[in-house]
Amino acid sequence: MKTTESRRNGTKALSSYARPDGRGARPTRPMTDFSIIGKPIAMVDAAGKTSGAGKYTDDLSLPGMLVGKILHSPHPHARIERIDTSKAEQLDGVIAVAIGADAPNTYGILPVGHDEHALAVDKVRYVGDNVACVAAEDEATAESALELIDVDYELLPAYFDPEDSMKTERDLIHDNKAHNLEKDYHHVFGDPEKGFAEADQIAEARYIANEVTHAAMEPHSTLASFELDSHTGKLGRLTVWSSTQVPYYLQHKLSLVLEMPMSQIRVIKPLVGGGFGGKSEVIPLEIIAAIAARKAKRPVKITYTREEVFWAHRGRPRTIIDLKTGVKNDGRITAVKARVVQDGGGYCSYGVVTILYSGALLGALYDIPNIQYDGYRVLTNKPACGAMRGHGTVNVRFAFESQLDELAARINLDRAEIRRRNLLQPPCITVNGLRVQSYGLPECIDKVVERSDWQNRKGKLPRGRGLGIACSHYVSGAANSIIRSDMPHSTVNIKIDRDGGVVVYTGASEIGQGSDTMTAQIAAEVLGCSLARVKVIAADTDLTPIDIGSYSSRVTFMAGNATLRAAQEVKKQIASAAAKKMVCSPEELVFRNDLVSRNGGAGTGHVGTGALARPVPAGFLGTNSSAHASVSGRVEGQILRGSLQQKRKDQGPKDSMSFEEAVVAAIDFHGALTGTGSYAPPPEARGGKHKGAGVGPSPAYSYSAQVAEVTVDEDTGEVTVHKVWAAHDCGRALNPVSVEGQIIGSVWMGMGQALTEEMIWKDGLLMNPGLLEYRSPSSVESPEVEPIIVESIDAEGPFGAKECSEGSLAATIPAIANAIYDAVGIRLHEAPFTPERVLAALRAKKNAKTLNLTEGVDPTAPARFREHGGAVWFKGKGAERVGRAPSPANGD
Amino acid sequence: MALSEFQLLRPPNLTEALATLYRHAGEGPRATRILAGGTDLLPSMRQKLFEPEHVLDIRRIPELKGIRETDQGTEIGALTTLHEVEHSELLRARYPVLVQAAKTVASPVLRNMGTTGGNICLDTRCLWYNQSLAWRKSCGFCIKKDGDLCHVAPGGTKCWAAFSGDTPPALLCLNAEIEIGSATGVHRIPLRDFYTGEGDNYRKLRPNELVTRVILPRSSAGYRGAYRKLRIRGSIDYPLAGVAVAVKKSNGHVEDLQIAMTAVNPAPTLVSGLAQLLDRCLSDDAVAETAGDMAARIAKPLTTSALTPEYRREMIRVFTKRAVLDVLGQRPRTNDQRRDY
Repeated sequence: MKTTESRRNGTKALSSYARPDGRGARPTRPMTDFSIIGKPIAMVDAAGKTSGAGKYTDDLSLPGMLVGKILHSPHPHARIERIDTSKAEQLDGVIAVAIGADAPNTYGILPVGHDEHALAVDKVRYVGDNVACVAAEDEATAESALELIDVDYELLPAYFDPEDSMKTERDLIHDNKAHNLEKDYHHVFGDPEKGFAEADQIAEARYIANEVTHAAMEPHSTLASFELDSHTGKLGRLTVWSSTQVPYYLQHKLSLVLEMPMSQIRVIKPLVGGGFGGKSEVIPLEIIAAIAARKAKRPVKITYTREEVFWAHRGRPRTIIDLKTGVKNDGRITAVKARVVQDGGGYCSYGVVTILYSGALLGALYDIPNIQYDGYRVLTNKPACGAMRGHGTVNVRFAFESQLDELAARINLDRAEIRRRNLLQPPCITVNGLRVQSYGLPECIDKVVERSDWQNRKGKLPRGRGLGIACSHYVSGAANSIIRSDMPHSTVNIKIDRDGGVVVYTGASEIGQGSDTMTAQIAAEVLGCSLARVKVIAADTDLTPIDIGSYSSRVTFMAGNATLRAAQEVKKQIASAAAKKMVCSPEELVFRNDLVSRNGGAGTGHVGTGALARPVPAGFLGTNSSAHASVSGRVEGQILRGSLQQKRKDQGPKDSMSFEEAVVAAIDFHGALTGTGSYAPPPEARGGKHKGAGVGPSPAYSYSAQVAEVTVDEDTGEVTVHKVWAAHDCGRALNPVSVEGQIIGSVWMGMGQALTEEMIWKDGLLMNPGLLEYRSPSSVESPEVEPIIVESIDAEGPFGAKECSEGSLAATIPAIANAIYDAVGIRLHEAPFTPERVLAALRAKKNAKTLNLTEGVDPTAPARFREHGGAVWFKGKGAERVGRAPSPANGD
Repeated sequence: MALSEFQLLRPPNLTEALATLYRHAGEGPRATRILAGGTDLLPSMRQKLFEPEHVLDIRRIPELKGIRETDQGTEIGALTTLHEVEHSELLRARYPVLVQAAKTVASPVLRNMGTTGGNICLDTRCLWYNQSLAWRKSCGFCIKKDGDLCHVAPGGTKCWAAFSGDTPPALLCLNAEIEIGSATGVHRIPLRDFYTGEGDNYRKLRPNELVTRVILPRSSAGYRGAYRKLRIRGSIDYPLAGVAVAVKKSNGHVEDLQIAMTAVNPAPTLVSGLAQLLDRCLSDDAVAETAGDMAARIAKPLTTSALTPEYRREMIRVFTKRAVLDVLGQRPRTNDQRRDY
């Protein structure tokens, strides 16, 4: 790709916007006149979910099915010396007890991080780690049996603070990870030293973001069942129904652990009640259920309790960000230096990717010529952290956008303006190798400034009320898949039979985000048929072609493009057959409203049947606006072979055909009507060559700007968010109502992390493993959110679409932080901004009498993570079934 | 988490209920539990905090329902839901502090189920106690259940689990009495004598006894009142600190002032010495300020819940001050825009 030097160091301008090989996913029609794309459409699976008829994994049952319950470790770090399951096995109703030795192979979502056992083999690494599984006739029996399993542990010193953990040389959490360091990266782009030397103002501070988790409404659930092999009578094929975002990865990991070929394993994803990243890797219960089913020789279902969901975790790690930013007096950023330490928990999970995203996504939002990044992913004896909505970028973005605000104040520049002064000039490649094409950030900033009446209200609200602005961005899928290969990231098959029904087979996982609806919309738009005609078969590894899953906001871009290509392939076949019938060239045909017509279809010869799915746009059918297209589902609308022949005799060549007629013609002509499309990100989008360059690149980035309006109660420290204006550049909104839902959801979830959500730890023990004490906002605190859709129409996205479900989240936290500053003049460097932290900062500012509101941690300059008060008396000793009074040495 | 096995007893009337309770009272952790709303009982049973042999379902007993005027004041049946209390015109007119407190309990759905008696009898709460069996096992069992240590006050022998009902501080301000029934008869005690101040043995109720009704005296009718609750979310949450204030004014003169707190001690606690405060004829602001300090002094919050103890104590001070100013007819100047649901 040709590049030219830009005005700034580092960032390269691209001379050509579109892809050089011309293979971009541009739709063939002009991109403005759509019949289904861009319209607010109800989710295709909404009825089942709202009526209760829809089936989630826990709703499923099989004859002979057992309930699986897992025994969890009570210790944060211990060697297992002995497990005795004999008493449990003898309990009436217990069919099998599985332990680590039943399936000792390791696995992990990343090829570099195969460090998990489904059930512990030698060691446990956090309170809640998985030790054994009982499969019993009912839940109460299984729980009773757990009490009968004897485990002897040798306790090991445990590590709860990542900065302490990094210093250790012995009793490592994983033997092959020196200093308990999962991975560290040290990147230098441009010349940061020079950049800071050129800066007029430099800010440097530590920020701390505490740990949050997904809290999806549906707890994880898996049902595993083996078939008997007809020839041998032994256990044969395995079917697993699971609440997962990644059925194909699950199939792969099951194959590794169970030592079965992938072809013998079928993974089916029923309805999923939210994932947010918490189901984007293989969760222990998914494999444990299969191990237990194999041992019990009966189907086993495990559904996590809410507490187990918290222990399975894989949420956003608590993070220390030491950030330094330099700006010129005109507001332009000269250099950024970030040191990020993530408290990763006991296993790798997505950790290597998370720590890389934290650095890589310093780029691609603003034009930053010089970046230094030092990232440390550290192992601790806590549940593993993983991917969570806005993976890797959220905590660093909180720090960055807060610091940018502080710098704007110092140089006396409007907070919105400082962001405008640092815009990229796409198309370009950033200093850290990220290719940026469509870039709606300027418009996002303009829109939120305008709608919030920023110019007239910022800084002019009564004391206690304030406005804050912040921006964010996110990938539209990773340009490099977890498993490095040349395989497409998404493949979609389409089959149309003589009934005119369009069946789309996609591996993409609907998890509530609208994947199935998006797929149906794109297929229907390309084929010019009604949405009701399209049926989506998704996420069943026996039926659907491979798709790497619903994570990193990749589905619309990648599975959408694959759907588009598959539909175009089918359309081409229909067009060539229909053109023959109509005695014209295929290029002359237009597919729309269940009609295939010539030159826009002044369909004089067509005898329509059935009713229109929706009103025909004025002028579309020319003078014959009363012509009706047919839809599936009506008997007279279905054209079988005999009637078609009859029609052929009756009618000569005509200007339009119904969709069914065209389909039948194509099947008669080609023998079958199927199409396949796949998508792999283009090589130009796959990033630089440095170590760790694989994470961060994406074929397209989404952009967000938000303004939050808050009030702060100065006596109590309580923060109320009144309104958030949230503009999001999603390329093209394929389904605006769905995009708005994603924006509102992101803001709401970001607000949770900003104000109320926090996993509270005491020596590795999670103090709030439930939705009563882990406080996601309720509807009462939900502010009015004004979603503003910005459409930058990406050259490579399907119909120009990009990401819309994660990118907004990261802007909410700093927007609220900046609004708090505007309201009462305090700058919190620790999230969430709980009332005690806010009040501590307010009192410090006023020089009020010191109260130890935050137990030694200054929320405006935090140095370390705060532990919950009280004492876990077992430290180094071990808990007994009946506790003894702690000796003074054990107390804190 | 499964419920462990128990026998469900469903008597049709109060007499039979009390007789049944007398027969099956049990004791200790296996003592019979009363099912009224069940909103606290069932989660606690799943966590194996209660392991009763019998559960006595009193939900069908008509005598325990409803709000009635009597010669002495107003009676609220123990089974009266918090929703009914919240929406009672009678209570709103006469005992507004109670209505305000009832309105803040949990969420609308839970108030449809939760009862007045249940809120009075609510088990004390602690982050180290309201956890699953597996969780509690992982750090050693505490005084309140199965063990003899305290994580909140290491080395201590007293249980500090916090009483976290919202309506009892309001009832204390109103000088409420409760009626306790058993197979051997009924008796009444002032609500303030019901609580012990011990987190693990927090109320004076024998296993064969049942709280049957609350009596609000006529003399407390017409008190103005306010309830302020510290919570992180505007709904669902238990109080992290709560203050009820009731005041009787005549001819512009404050005749009586009552303040009670919840969620910061093992019992809902009346603030004493307020009569002397009124005798000093201070300005409203000074009364509010001093009352806030007095309340904060007797609050003993520990790390039994979210938010730090010092913060919760400070909020007792702030909320008391605000609530007092509120009932004295001066809305405090704040930008507090929170709503309760």
